[in-house]
Amino acid sequence: MTIDHRADPPGAAPVAARPAGLRATALRRLRRDPASIFAACLLLLLVLAALIGGPLAATLTGHSPIAQYPDALHSDGLPIGFFSRTLNATGTATNPHGSLFILGADQLGRDQLVRVLYGARISLLVATSATALALVIGVSLGLLAGYLGGWVDAVVSRMTETAMAFPNVLLGVGLAIVIGPGLLNVVIIITLFTWYYPARIVRGTTTATKKMTFVAAARALGARPRRLLVVHLLPQVYGPLLVYATSIIANNIIFEAGLSYLGVGVPPPTPSWGQMLSDAVTSGMYQTDIGLALVPGVALVMTMLAFNLLGDGIRDALDPKGRR
Amino acid sequence: MIRLAGTRILGALVQILVVTLLAWLLFYVIARFTGASPAERIAGKTASPAQIALVAKNLGLNQPYWKQYLIFLGRMVRGNFGFSYVQSRPVAQILWPALRATTSLVLGAAVVWLAIAVPIGAYGGLRPRSFGDVAGRVLAILGMSIPVFWLAPVIAYQFGYEPTQGRLFGLHILPVGTQLFPITGYVDFGQNPAQWAYHLILPWVTLAVGFAAVYIRFLRTLTAEQLAEDYTRTARAKGASTARVLIQHVGRNVLPPVTVLLGADVATALTGVFFVETVFAIPGIGYTGLSAIENLDYPVITAVIIVAAVIAVIANTVVDIAHMALDPRIRHVPDA
Repeated sequence: MTIDHRADPPGAAPVAARPAGLRATALRRLRRDPASIFAACLLLLLVLAALIGGPLAATLTGHSPIAQYPDALHSDGLPIGFFSRTLNATGTATNPHGSLFILGADQLGRDQLVRVLYGARISLLVATSATALALVIGVSLGLLAGYLGGWVDAVVSRMTETAMAFPNVLLGVGLAIVIGPGLLNVVIIITLFTWYYPARIVRGTTTATKKMTFVAAARALGARPRRLLVVHLLPQVYGPLLVYATSIIANNIIFEAGLSYLGVGVPPPTPSWGQMLSDAVTSGMYQTDIGLALVPGVALVMTMLAFNLLGDGIRDALDPKGRR
Repeated sequence: MIRLAGTRILGALVQILVVTLLAWLLFYVIARFTGASPAERIAGKTASPAQIALVAKNLGLNQPYWKQYLIFLGRMVRGNFGFSYVQSRPVAQILWPALRATTSLVLGAAVVWLAIAVPIGAYGGLRPRSFGDVAGRVLAILGMSIPVFWLAPVIAYQFGYEPTQGRLFGLHILPVGTQLFPITGYVDFGQNPAQWAYHLILPWVTLAVGFAAVYIRFLRTLTAEQLAEDYTRTARAKGASTARVLIQHVGRNVLPPVTVLLGADVATALTGVFFVETVFAIPGIGYTGLSAIENLDYPVITAVIIVAAVIAVIANTVVDIAHMALDPRIRHVPDA
């Protein structure tokens, strides 16, 4: 689960004469880009699904996300498929008055639709909070390392390199087992394996911009280090950070799903996409009903697609060499 | 250049030291407070306190922590990773076959993803906004968005299983799976190269998809950048064919950054291809590490993490030095 920031060589740090102008241009470009609009709509849907989708679906269908409905399983243990109604008492024929499972049931007879909507909550919650935490840590360390240079820079650089040398999935799983499962622990583990991406970007940009004339001018006017850092150096990294934040969120969604997939994520029965996928795959049930793997998988792919498209759109929009 | 390389290697050694220290702290010290102690694990459930104390003494667990760490480090340097709690054989004997399996998986996949990405990426850079370029970019962004732990079962379902009762809206959305390729079992290259490749085709493709997506985008950007440079225009003006410009001129300049990326990715992949190895049951580093974690087999986990980190550090160092050799510009920069 590496972030492919290398695929997009940096240097796109927008050094704008008037930041407001750049922001307006970027917004105008984004509005004209169909892929970004599509991504934004997908993300809006996702947020709606996370905020109200779960409870709404639960109320409409009358199915709780964690309740198991034995009449949603055939007599041979196979769950009912898409758009199916629950079965009769013997589990052999559909009951025409049974309750409707729009995306079918999982191997325990739980409603897939309700679970996938509730799963959006966990994915978004974990991914955004871990990203926010990683950004706070990474940006502060990167700014300090880039601005102060010297031994601070050396320590931070070695820390990032060492952190990158660890096999993150294995160590993440190992840590999860040692410190125990839970929502907060998952966030901490993900943060531990992502803080160094923003740290490296911010350090690089800050090292380059602190030598620029406008920083020297600000210093000559009597700006203190704190003002230099917050008012002059920090805004220079907003552009690349915004792009990386989208890809970090996308990767964190995958990371969370991966941890849950390996059984050390958010503990069951709280629904999460990785866990739903893992249930389908490790039980072998997906071999007979691929829908079990398709529902959480498609949710994951659409979410990733939205974040990746939006990240691309923002990067192009902020590119000073771009057209318009 | 020698001095630069020397500093780089020294830094790498420090990194390895830090990694071993952290792995030891996590799995030898912290784990001791959260679960059973190593002595209890080795002596077994029926052991008396006296027996446990004896084992603890033999393991050196009654020594001060700094001394224990030095003993641990000394063993690691000599390639002695201790005994597995679960498999009751030396960890090294478990680790080397696993490393062979992971290496076959990763190197084969690297060939696949380069074979996919080089033509598509180069074409996209050559003819931006053409149909082929747009199609390549759509494929790339899709490839980036598909998590490998979802792709692996879907590919296995599609090409490896004969579904007994595939139901989706009561019918198959995908054509019925055909058992074209095996999805379990790994054959060592030394035993039967043909079977080795046959068993690894699906894992190779699965692993390659995500990387191919990244490489398509990277190569497209690099090719487009190089084609906009004056030297390519000069080469064209002198009558060089498109193929010659792409291979001789652009290729030579794209080579160093791609080598760096490839080195880093192969190194990361060697440290564990967890999901692909688990789904296709390939007894590699990732599979070994994850099953060791399930069994709380701490010596194996520690060894896997340390070996993985050492591979990553060595590979990054080699890549940096290779980069210096391939790209004369960075050899002469004082603080690279």
